[in-house]
Amino acid sequence: MNGGASIDPSSGLALPRGFRDILPTEARELHAIERTLMETFARYGYVPLEPPTVEFASSALALDERRMLRFLDRDGRLLALRPDVTTAVARVVAQRYRDATAALRLAYFAPIFREEASMRGSEREYDQAGVELIGDASLRGDAEVIALLAEALAGCGLLGVELDVGHVGFFGGFVAELPDNAREAVASAARAGDLVSAVRLARDAGLSAARVSSLERGLRHRAGDLAAARKDAPAASTRALDQLDELGPLLEAAGVGAAICFDLGFIPALPYYSGIVFQVTAPGLGFPIAAGGRYDGLLARFGADRAATGFGIAVPHLHQAVVAAGWQPQVGAPLLVLAPNKSDAATLSAAAGLRALGVAVAIGDVAEHAGQEVHRAKVVDATHVEYEGATRAIEALAGVLMRTPR
Amino acid sequence: MTALRIALAQGSIFEETKVALAAAGLSIDALADGGRRLLVPAGDVEYVLCRPSDVPTYVSHGAADIGVTGKDVLMETGTDVLELVDLRYGTCRFVVAAPQDSIDRSLDEYRHLGSLEVATKYPRVAEEHFQRRGVQVELIKLSGSVELAPQVGLSDWIVDLVGTGRTLKENRLAIVEEIATCTARLIANRASYARDRDRIAAIAAALEKWASAR
Repeated sequence: MNGGASIDPSSGLALPRGFRDILPTEARELHAIERTLMETFARYGYVPLEPPTVEFASSALALDERRMLRFLDRDGRLLALRPDVTTAVARVVAQRYRDATAALRLAYFAPIFREEASMRGSEREYDQAGVELIGDASLRGDAEVIALLAEALAGCGLLGVELDVGHVGFFGGFVAELPDNAREAVASAARAGDLVSAVRLARDAGLSAARVSSLERGLRHRAGDLAAARKDAPAASTRALDQLDELGPLLEAAGVGAAICFDLGFIPALPYYSGIVFQVTAPGLGFPIAAGGRYDGLLARFGADRAATGFGIAVPHLHQAVVAAGWQPQVGAPLLVLAPNKSDAATLSAAAGLRALGVAVAIGDVAEHAGQEVHRAKVVDATHVEYEGATRAIEALAGVLMRTPR
Repeated sequence: MTALRIALAQGSIFEETKVALAAAGLSIDALADGGRRLLVPAGDVEYVLCRPSDVPTYVSHGAADIGVTGKDVLMETGTDVLELVDLRYGTCRFVVAAPQDSIDRSLDEYRHLGSLEVATKYPRVAEEHFQRRGVQVELIKLSGSVELAPQVGLSDWIVDLVGTGRTLKENRLAIVEEIATCTARLIANRASYARDRDRIAAIAAALEKWASAR
């Protein structure tokens, strides 16, 4: 038997772990964020792509199969709830823009689904927003997406964020000097975050003492300049630093110079990055808000060998950070709750008249106003309402309400 | 500037961790009184005192910025954190062990029956090890005193964490093979390591220096 307040799954009120209802107040805030992000992306020429919710499980190359929510359909095919949007972008590029020479700029805002171990407090569904710049291998392209990310976050009210910019080629330069059979072990230890083993394996594989200390210095390097990281670094790593040095002035020209910090210890967990990478963190948040970088070569695996860079924003983390920063969504007119009078016709007519003047109107009462500013009035007749003790024409009331500072 | 939050494993490595932190220039006076506070402010840092196996959880969620716990714990929990420094104390080994007098017999049985029963407190480490080896086993999860299992016929072998190996010997068990040697590690939350690099890298460098001088 079911005791007290516990929820019986068979009652239909339970949710699978990692899924939740987004209630009206938060949903409204998320819609405001979605609008801001997509408008900012559009100002840079990024056009929306809406991927399907379901993919073949075998299509996703970028993610471990154990991280996908999979199921069989009636054809016996193994499907997965969209684990990322990169897969859809790759497919669209390979199928429809294979021979395009111009750059393709795609933006998306979509829920993604990840399998998580139980008891970790992790969500299995969350919104991800992002852009992909396909077919532009230039540093200007890297600067463009980084500047776009900074502007999109600022537009959502997240001011003064620091953007960490690194380059996988710095660490890669050290790995390339190792014997073939040691490379993958060193690189995958570093991606998994085990820097102790990565350095130890590299040393065991014959990396010289000077190189080891150069690598260790690099992994701790986070600063506005890169000079200190050059000492004893391999040529390939130095070339990566040269690229970052060149990127600095470009970002400044794009208006985001002050927010940039070069971070050579940032090694993304995903293996497909090939050049400049970046992430955004916020105080008090244990997860990055956004991350991205160049992934030339990944699309070749889908049959479309084009340069690519882009980023993804974890919308729940962005939302958490902007709310913590005291943000309020700037959306729409206040809500007018209109008490009806005896004539339903007069009530509906007054409401219609007010809505035509731009006022949001709910008749009767509302159980949930989702954090909106609420005003109350009572219908007198089809063109008049009682508001703050006085009878007013609906035009006059609309004038008052629409002037209310939002 | 907000206090840097440091999760510390209470238990066998706690005393040496305090020595290491002090050597790295952190104030540990507030940890001395043996009180019951679990969140201990100490100047510009704040200590979170928890079970060794919970340290990676606090750190991976960013509830603590950095932490000190054993590599054994990191291997078994598999949480996503950065491992920055090998502190070189708290040494122990993950081993596969079997009754001294029946190793040959159990291998013979494996050839016949195709599977061995292995009791352990560390199912993740054990499963990964045997998968890598291509050995088929059935794991039996226990909460403690795993050495008992083969003696009473619950399992053929065990996977356990050993310090000196005395307990194994007293229970007439012999090491079949060693899976990994584990020591204490300084770990960091990925986002904290980016945001608070100066403070965390300074602590990491000081701890590294202390550890390699010993």
